Amino acid sequence: MSIKFLVVDDSITMRRIVANSLKNLGYNDFVEASDGKDALDKLAADDNINFVITDWNMPVLSGLELIKAIRSDEKLKELPVLMVTTRGVKEDIIEALSAKVNNYIVKPFTPQILKEKIEQILS
Amino acid sequence: MAQQTSMMQLFEKLDDLKSVFIYGQKIIPVIHSLLDFMKDTVPLLENINRSIADSTTKIPKAKHHIHDVTNATELATTEILDIVDTISDDVQTIDSKINSVIEKEKNRASQFDEIIALLDDKPEVKSKLVSLKEELVSQDVIESIQEIISKIRNDAYNITISLQVQDITSQQLAAVNHLIESVQERLSSLIITLGETEIKEMRIEKDATPENVHFDPQASYNKETSRQEMADSLVRENLNASQEEIDKLFS
Repeated sequence: MSIKFLVVDDSITMRRIVANSLKNLGYNDFVEASDGKDALDKLAADDNINFVITDWNMPVLSGLELIKAIRSDEKLKELPVLMVTTRGVKEDIIEALSAKVNNYIVKPFTPQILKEKIEQILS
Repeated sequence: MAQQTSMMQLFEKLDDLKSVFIYGQKIIPVIHSLLDFMKDTVPLLENINRSIADSTTKIPKAKHHIHDVTNATELATTEILDIVDTISDDVQTIDSKINSVIEKEKNRASQFDEIIALLDDKPEVKSKLVSLKEELVSQDVIESIQEIISKIRNDAYNITISLQVQDITSQQLAAVNHLIESVQERLSSLIITLGETEIKEMRIEKDATPENVHFDPQASYNKETSRQEMADSLVRENLNASQEEIDKLFS
């Protein structure tokens, strides 16, 4: 099964870092979005996206709101979502897990952690 | 009799008045020193007010400077990422060219072997060909070049990963900006008694400040694994809880 990633982050730097990391792991198929709203538009326009990697703090629509929107959408609710964020406080992680995020990475991340979390979700 | 009572009351009142005068005499120096204190304090307060007003008008500039720093670091990071991408592409090209050289050298070596096998009756030519074959690029040299290429590739990737610091510091700067904004609001309320014009000017500068920043106030470039370990543990707990719920449903 081919994986098409949607990388959501308002920071151009972070989008490029995650995209480069995906390429390094052998995943070459991905699209980018600059906030949660943009991500929902991309998901609506592209049925092939089957994995979302999102930041938390973003303008317009946050990562947490994006996850809630995905989980409440009949068509998207099973979509794997990995959160990559600077928010490393216990309460935040619990809040993300309550919103049904599949896995959670605290920035700065290492390539090994990203690989491990993607593989965990895919398995 | 009534007249005597009235006089007594008058004397009492006069006594009271006398006490007030005596008290007044005692309190007058205190009032004097209070007035002196106020005379000294008023210019001081005016000075403080002016300083607050001055600081408040400087705050928007500080906020713009911080925003400029964020933009500059993002631009510089993008440039570094572009260069790192170019290096990675070049390394990829070198790697494929080396692989093609390895293939060619392997072909040459096998061709040498084939020719050498045919030259048993010509030992001199055979020996020259054997020494020529030995001059082919050795496997050791190729392996060491490939190791260096792999190291450059890893280093380039590690530079990319380290640039996460830009995103984290930009969030820290956004948090500082937010803090400055709060201070500005407090200071503005302190100098609300100033002229209408000055307050209007401050409002104009405040509106010009970029507001579209979203950040984590506790962002930090911390390579310690404790936060990730806590996240992993919570994710595991969450998964286990879900499994228990599923087990309950099916038992």
